[in-house]
Amino acid sequence: MKITTGIAMHGNLTRKSRSARAALLAISASALLAACGGGAPTTNNPTTIIPDTGETPYTGPVARNADVLKFQQEFWSKAKTSDRCGSCHNEIVGQQPMFVRNDDVNLAYDEAVTVTDTLNPSASRVVAKVGGGHNCWVADANVCAEIMTTWIENWVGVVSGGGRKIILTPPVSNDPAASKNFPLDPTAFQTLIHQPILVTYCANCHSSETPNAQQPYFADPDIGTAYDAAKPKMNLDTPANSRLVTRLRNEFHFCWNVGCPQSAQIMEDAITAFANGITPTTVDPNLVISKALRLTDGILASGGNRYEDAQIGLWEFKTGSGLIAYDTSGVDPAIDLNFSGDLTWFGGWGVTINDGKAQGSTSASKKLFDVIQDSGEFTIEAWAIPANVTQDMSRIISYSGGDTARNFTLQQTLYDYDFRLRTTETGLNGDPALSTPSAEEVLQATLQHVVATYHPVDGRQIYINGQLVTNVDPIPGGTLVDWQDTFALVFGNETSGAGLWQGTLRLVAIHRRALTAAQVQQNFDVGVGEKFFLLFDISEVIQASAQSSYILFEVQQFDSYAYLFDKPSFITLDGSQPEGIPIEGLRVGMNGLEAPVGQSYATMNDTLSASLFGQLGQPLSLLGAVLPLEKGPDSDEFFLTFDRLGGSSYNRPDDPTLVITPTDLLPASRVGLRTFDEINATFAAVTGVDPKLPAVDLTYQELRQSLPAIEDVNTFLSAHQVAIAQLSIEYCNALIGTNQIPNPDTATYFPGFDFDAAPATAFAGSNRDLLVNPLINNIVGTNLAGQPAFADVYTEVASFQAAGGRPDNLIDRLLVGGSDTRAISKGVCAAILGSAATLLQ
Amino acid sequence: MKISVSTSTDRTGRRVYLARLSRVIIVGLLTAGFLSPALAGPREQAKRIHDRLAGVPPTDSVLQQMQNEIASGNANGAADMAMDNVSFYNVTLKNFATPWTNRDRSVFAPLNDYVATVIGMIRDGVGFNTLLSADLAYVGRQGVVSSSPSASNNDHFEQLEFGNVNLRDDLVATTQSSITGVPSTATAGVMTSRAASEAFFVAGTNRAMFRFTLLNHMCNDMEQMHDTKLTPDRIRQDVSRSPGGDSRLFLNSCIGCHAGMDPMAQAFAYYNFDESTRRLEYTGGTVQPKYFNNDLNFPSGFRTPDDAWENRWRRGQNSYLGFNATLPGSGNGAKALGEELGNSYAFAACQVKKVFRTVCLRDAEDPADRQRVDAITNTFRTTGYRMKQVFADSAVYCMGR
Repeated sequence: MKITTGIAMHGNLTRKSRSARAALLAISASALLAACGGGAPTTNNPTTIIPDTGETPYTGPVARNADVLKFQQEFWSKAKTSDRCGSCHNEIVGQQPMFVRNDDVNLAYDEAVTVTDTLNPSASRVVAKVGGGHNCWVADANVCAEIMTTWIENWVGVVSGGGRKIILTPPVSNDPAASKNFPLDPTAFQTLIHQPILVTYCANCHSSETPNAQQPYFADPDIGTAYDAAKPKMNLDTPANSRLVTRLRNEFHFCWNVGCPQSAQIMEDAITAFANGITPTTVDPNLVISKALRLTDGILASGGNRYEDAQIGLWEFKTGSGLIAYDTSGVDPAIDLNFSGDLTWFGGWGVTINDGKAQGSTSASKKLFDVIQDSGEFTIEAWAIPANVTQDMSRIISYSGGDTARNFTLQQTLYDYDFRLRTTETGLNGDPALSTPSAEEVLQATLQHVVATYHPVDGRQIYINGQLVTNVDPIPGGTLVDWQDTFALVFGNETSGAGLWQGTLRLVAIHRRALTAAQVQQNFDVGVGEKFFLLFDISEVIQASAQSSYILFEVQQFDSYAYLFDKPSFITLDGSQPEGIPIEGLRVGMNGLEAPVGQSYATMNDTLSASLFGQLGQPLSLLGAVLPLEKGPDSDEFFLTFDRLGGSSYNRPDDPTLVITPTDLLPASRVGLRTFDEINATFAAVTGVDPKLPAVDLTYQELRQSLPAIEDVNTFLSAHQVAIAQLSIEYCNALIGTNQIPNPDTATYFPGFDFDAAPATAFAGSNRDLLVNPLINNIVGTNLAGQPAFADVYTEVASFQAAGGRPDNLIDRLLVGGSDTRAISKGVCAAILGSAATLLQ
Repeated sequence: MKISVSTSTDRTGRRVYLARLSRVIIVGLLTAGFLSPALAGPREQAKRIHDRLAGVPPTDSVLQQMQNEIASGNANGAADMAMDNVSFYNVTLKNFATPWTNRDRSVFAPLNDYVATVIGMIRDGVGFNTLLSADLAYVGRQGVVSSSPSASNNDHFEQLEFGNVNLRDDLVATTQSSITGVPSTATAGVMTSRAASEAFFVAGTNRAMFRFTLLNHMCNDMEQMHDTKLTPDRIRQDVSRSPGGDSRLFLNSCIGCHAGMDPMAQAFAYYNFDESTRRLEYTGGTVQPKYFNNDLNFPSGFRTPDDAWENRWRRGQNSYLGFNATLPGSGNGAKALGEELGNSYAFAACQVKKVFRTVCLRDAEDPADRQRVDAITNTFRTTGYRMKQVFADSAVYCMGR
């Protein structure tokens, strides 16, 4: 059955499916869905301006029509060079098919159409051939497949009727199998695989400790690092399919002295022994489940229509191993970037720069100089994940010659992106930079689509996630005549190494035109990374015809540690129209168990109804679920579980309540300090002084935050003591008054004491009791066993005579100093008021 | 030693001299104080109750009355007498509540409507379980200060504090909605007070209001509520699912807090503190733009459509918080969320815990303490959520034996 939806892509066929595997799936489809990927329309491909680099000038007949001419420009001229297909498939060598023959481009065209798929370029025979390693001109055969796909896409351009066909095929339905999961403890791995094989034979490269360090570090001396790196390379259920085995057996990758077959067998035997020690996880039979799938059973959904008509450099970081990121734009010369320092491949395509850089040669980088000098405008486009928002002047993408000279640089400064560009109106170092508005903090440590454009009229502009975020460039547009062709393109650093940017690049493109806002939005909408449609069969559960009813998910590897399951929908592939089927509590299972975290659809409560079918069936949620990656995208087996689906249900037990067992604390002090306001109020209460008297209040406000703020006696500081003394003096000053302005209330507080008498008289004999006794009684209190005894305080301030090294009482010592009566009284008052008698509670 | 003393009004010179002088004395008396035997007859118990509740020592006559009450077996009556001291309101309760009203949790913040409302509710025995939901505010009696309560400034309350106005006698109850202009149905007790709005609804994403309410009134921070098993379907788009390119951070850390917090913080979807007008803004029916900040960080995240909240902590590990089974556990707006939180066991236990700490100067440290705290909590919940009862019960328990 053919299902035609309204989301067919319009426009040309730039950047679409590049996966031969997915393409083959598509070819074998039985149900056809003209769909998808959601890209916006694009414009026609212009003729590329890159000149033919073939060695031998073409002197044959002219192209007989426009299609042949396009073939000549976009495919033939690039493939015919002697380092590529032109070394064999021509009229001189005679290797069939002669699709790059140099004597007659029309004949070459006739041959080429027999080995290309214009509807699905990635499924072309020539792509499959070169992708399989047939005379690929770079180290990674997949890169050649990518490049050749691009050439074909550029050649075929607009397809009549538009729209790439995405075909939803009933997948092979399997029940979730008992699955072996990696144990947390790496000991068995270490004993059986790591030490005897990986360290012995692979550690010269696949270890972070070697000068030739190459990811993945499964031979690292750190067992944790090695185990994490080796997990995706081992297939516990079918050890022979482990990447560690096939790399030896099929690709002859650094086999050791016993030869590749034997090396592979040794590796397989070790993984088998490791797997045999693991008890398989079986699915709970009480669960209501769908059929199971792996990511590789999915149908490629990614692609959409990136706008790439003016693209002159493209890095998608798909290689996943080695030390080179290939420029797969198809525009020669390719600016392949060499890694140096600590760079790691990012799961789901990308490269993470920890401490190093990826740099192209100056000769290859000159492509940018040549092309952009001609166009006078350009665009830098990146899908980037800044590692943090604390790095400064950190170069993300730079075409420069050192710290002080550059043609352009896109860099991070905290929450900002900066665009530095050398024109006739700016400096040789690209200053002043155009920056995103700091207050808006548009730079976030998460995946962002960043586009920096330059046009002589509009100046520089920066778009984040499809939105123009910069204001009008204050620097008028200039020309690029001051550019230098001796600079190098570098990612993640300055060429000198003095501008490290930490983060991940998932895609970078350079365009020779300033993309329009619509084109930027188009590329943002397409997204980044490889996405698949997974069809989970629920036919049996809802008692429908076999292989008819599915829950459709868009799934991708989200990063190195997780998958993203997105936008589930219910769809039928046989035209049936079920109605009124309840669906509740959808969860994603993985390798026999429900994923322990990230179950965004667990609260789903809906009804499946064909009447709600849209483009991709009935949408069940707009949400995405990020779920932890376990064995890797080739091995993890997914299935769905339901709390209720149709007539089946699962009675899910609640997670247990947390039981908190209290623990005894060390016994705390039963006394504490009075705090600031309490001290102030206490002083006011025991002296009778109004705390709002200006002098008192001013002093208190000055001291407020110097007084104790919490009750714990262990927090008492000398600064507190000084503040308390100052405040107590201020209160006593207010209580007693000055010689010029005495406080009339003293007669009430200190009945009988003569503040106007000379000190010798005022404090003579028992006269001093008239001052001291009221102070002690009011401030310390009476008959309180928890307070200092009256006699003790009295002795200290009024009666003790020096003995045993202890000085005279306070009053006698003050009398020696020659102060007047009020001053001495204040001293005595402050000593008692500012004491522990009031401070402690 | 010759010490010269002057009666000059030169405050600085005097202060320096006397500071030196009194320091010597203080050290001695501090020592004496610490070494004093911790006897606890009725008089000492009365003194301690007064000290702890009012923050100041009692007068002789009050002390004697309290002593008599204790001696006659009515220690709570003695506590009531201590709570009649104006310092219980102007000092103890003010400093009890002030840290709840600002992000720094500073006790030195100015008096504000949040604090005044707490004081008033405690004074009048208003059910404290309505603290987060009532359309209630306490303000100074008319004419006691020059400025009237305002939605756009704190002058009224700062004048009350500056004038040392008696908060026991001169606070009067009114409706919060009449001051802020927010509809009565949109008031949520102290959460929608001007002070809380200024502190927790300003800028950001309004998650601060939830987090600080949890911190101040449920005695837990988000870390204690961390539960990665909760369904993350209501986590907003602004939360990166792969911070710095590493989804493990999200799956092991961020998700545990946001899965519970975001569904509840949705209750505040219509609130914002407007920094230009300096007042709380309520846009009923229209979600505030702040809920869509950085919405492209994870486009497949939750996009807030309204102020419907849901309490996911009613199930799973955090159900120990003890939410009221008679409430639905979901609803719309801050008031309903305030009722959900205010009627939980954790809310009541938290109030008791805070009072115990204020009065006893320590946390419950052994089974006897914990048993008493539980008993006080149960009394609090079953006798109308009166905070004075909690203060009295705690003070009596810690008055010494």
